[in-house]
Amino acid sequence: MNRTVLLAASLAFAFSAGAANAQNQCVGKVPELRVIAQASPSVLVTEANLPEFEQKWKTKVTITKFGEQERRAKARLDLSLGAGVYHVIYMEEGNLAEYVKANWLYPIKPLVPTEYDFDDYRKDMSSIATIDGVQYYAPFEGGGDILMYRKDILDAKHIKVPTTFDELEAAIKAVHDPAHGIYGWAMRGERGFGMNVWRWIPLYVMNGGKWLTDDGKPAFAGDIGVKATQQYLDLMKYTPPGGGSASWSDAVEAFRSGQVAFFIEVDVFGPWMEDPSKSNIVGKVGYAPPPAPLPSAGWAHGWAISTVAVKDNDDCLKAVAGDFVGWSTSKEMEQRRLKAGMISDIGRQSTLTSDAYKKAVNPDWLKAVLTTQPETRVLFLRRPEWPQVGDSLGLVLEQLSTGQRADVAGALKEASDQAEDALSN
Amino acid sequence: MSARFRWLIIGPSIVYLAMFAAFTLAGSIYLSLQNRTLGEKLSPFVGIRNFQRLFNDHRFHNALAVSAIWELVTVFGTMVLATALAVALYEYVKRRQLRDLLCLLFLIPILLPRVAVAYIWRFIYSPTLGIANYLGTQVGLPPSIFLSSPDGALYWVAAVDIWQWALFYTVIIAKLIETLPPEPLEAAKMDSAGTLVTYGQIILPMLSAPMLSLALVKSIESLRSFDLIFIMTGGGPGTATETLDLLVYQVGLNLTGRVSYASAMSLVLLIVTAAGLAAIWKGTRKWAV
Repeated sequence: MNRTVLLAASLAFAFSAGAANAQNQCVGKVPELRVIAQASPSVLVTEANLPEFEQKWKTKVTITKFGEQERRAKARLDLSLGAGVYHVIYMEEGNLAEYVKANWLYPIKPLVPTEYDFDDYRKDMSSIATIDGVQYYAPFEGGGDILMYRKDILDAKHIKVPTTFDELEAAIKAVHDPAHGIYGWAMRGERGFGMNVWRWIPLYVMNGGKWLTDDGKPAFAGDIGVKATQQYLDLMKYTPPGGGSASWSDAVEAFRSGQVAFFIEVDVFGPWMEDPSKSNIVGKVGYAPPPAPLPSAGWAHGWAISTVAVKDNDDCLKAVAGDFVGWSTSKEMEQRRLKAGMISDIGRQSTLTSDAYKKAVNPDWLKAVLTTQPETRVLFLRRPEWPQVGDSLGLVLEQLSTGQRADVAGALKEASDQAEDALSN
Repeated sequence: MSARFRWLIIGPSIVYLAMFAAFTLAGSIYLSLQNRTLGEKLSPFVGIRNFQRLFNDHRFHNALAVSAIWELVTVFGTMVLATALAVALYEYVKRRQLRDLLCLLFLIPILLPRVAVAYIWRFIYSPTLGIANYLGTQVGLPPSIFLSSPDGALYWVAAVDIWQWALFYTVIIAKLIETLPPEPLEAAKMDSAGTLVTYGQIILPMLSAPMLSLALVKSIESLRSFDLIFIMTGGGPGTATETLDLLVYQVGLNLTGRVSYASAMSLVLLIVTAAGLAAIWKGTRKWAV
């Protein structure tokens, strides 16, 4: 027999035997596994299925849920103060660089048992969860951007689906009709590195913008930043009243209440538009990749394991935590989410391309997602200081979009100075 | 009751509170003299550099101004509205049972969880989906953008705070009026004093001490309106509703955890509010009956 095949088979047997051995030795040895999360649909389904996991390991699992900002603050406090309350951390892309620099997270792949097929996680989401070639969390929700539009409004106005940004701008202006309750566009306006900045970034990158100059100083206050900001403010004119400080949920509700014609947002919101219990526009929405050359802003949320709460020599706790991560993000768990009617949070490539999933979702939406997937990447500044840099930028963008100030160049310069201060500290 | 016995009763509580206050104050001062962030365990001492930075921090100055406006608007608005409603309740609702029923209904807002109130009103204020604009346009008012207005957002949020507290204070003030001795009021009636004069020169002056205490309590409570503002506007639009406690949270916990800089801000907030409340307290003692 080929020596390589024999060696691979031996290693596979050793790992699986090791995993089985770990489980045999660790059952009943970990009284409690504590998890910090936010109440996303995926987390709720995981919670509903906890008894089987608890039975397997004779371990009580406690999932503590917070709102997004509170979850972020509590997780950071727990890790930085060394409290180590939470073993498994709900993780996201914006804070990853900070957490990795502080050595708060384990590389996740070695801790997830091989039976869960780690390589099946969606490549776009896995790359977002990776820094310097090491993946730090197992994703269960995320994706990129997608263009959503009202087919009925475009048909009535004889407008074709825009495939370029210029066509999109023209189409927005053509359909904008506030007198009849139709606005051309909806967009995040509320300040925050995950709010209005998230929608500003694709405009900036589309124009060739870079985050840092060659000598490491912020570059977004230059001509490209001013142009992108002007485009952002021009689009803001076509949003519903209050759009200047709208959160993502305000923008989503404006679209699915039937008031908006065009909308670029994260692709997971597509299925939300087809939910008859909450959407006024079921069956009226078309889906397409973001018009060129707009890039697709990648994001991913998932489970990570804390180095503060899980000590390196605690093999059983590592085994249980790793198995929890694998189990709750497994192919089987995703199928359960599908059966529960949850079609937006998909972290597995096999689920995305499965027949069951294709039957459950709008085919145009799925086609748009799969088409955009290879273009999805991290667009924000991948540094530990990103939240502060993003917040400074988001603040001035909201001041501009609500009319508090009008000097685009001055506003960006102010944000850039604060960003430089943050990066140098 | 001897002084010794009094100190024996309240002494342990004072010692307990002083210990915690001293501990946290010492910790804040210690942190404010460093350059610590949550991501790094160690940090050098930088002396008063954080305080020096505050002098040039426009966002900090703005937060101080917003906090001051918030205090004035919510305290003044609560006291004025509560007094007016209490007088109206006392003067125009003569049936005791009906007055008591209304008092019970007026207590409901203050019993609601603050977070729930914030979310409900945020939705009411939604320019396109909220009921406020819908009802307003039905009676011919132009639609408003409410929380998206840089000039108006703070006042719209303050209206929610006043709604919760003014109705509660209405009940307290109404009951205070009911417990006043009837003789001065009868004497005023015999002298043909009008309602305005009776309230302005007799009733409200008699209630000045408790009402000033209510104002003091509201002043302290208004310093803790973080939850309402955080949920309704997050400090926006821009920094239009960013109070100092919200800024401290954003800087110290929500972003990159610059706890030393946030501690310096907290100490300034402590000094300013302690000075302000001490002045109010001195004023209440002057008016005490």
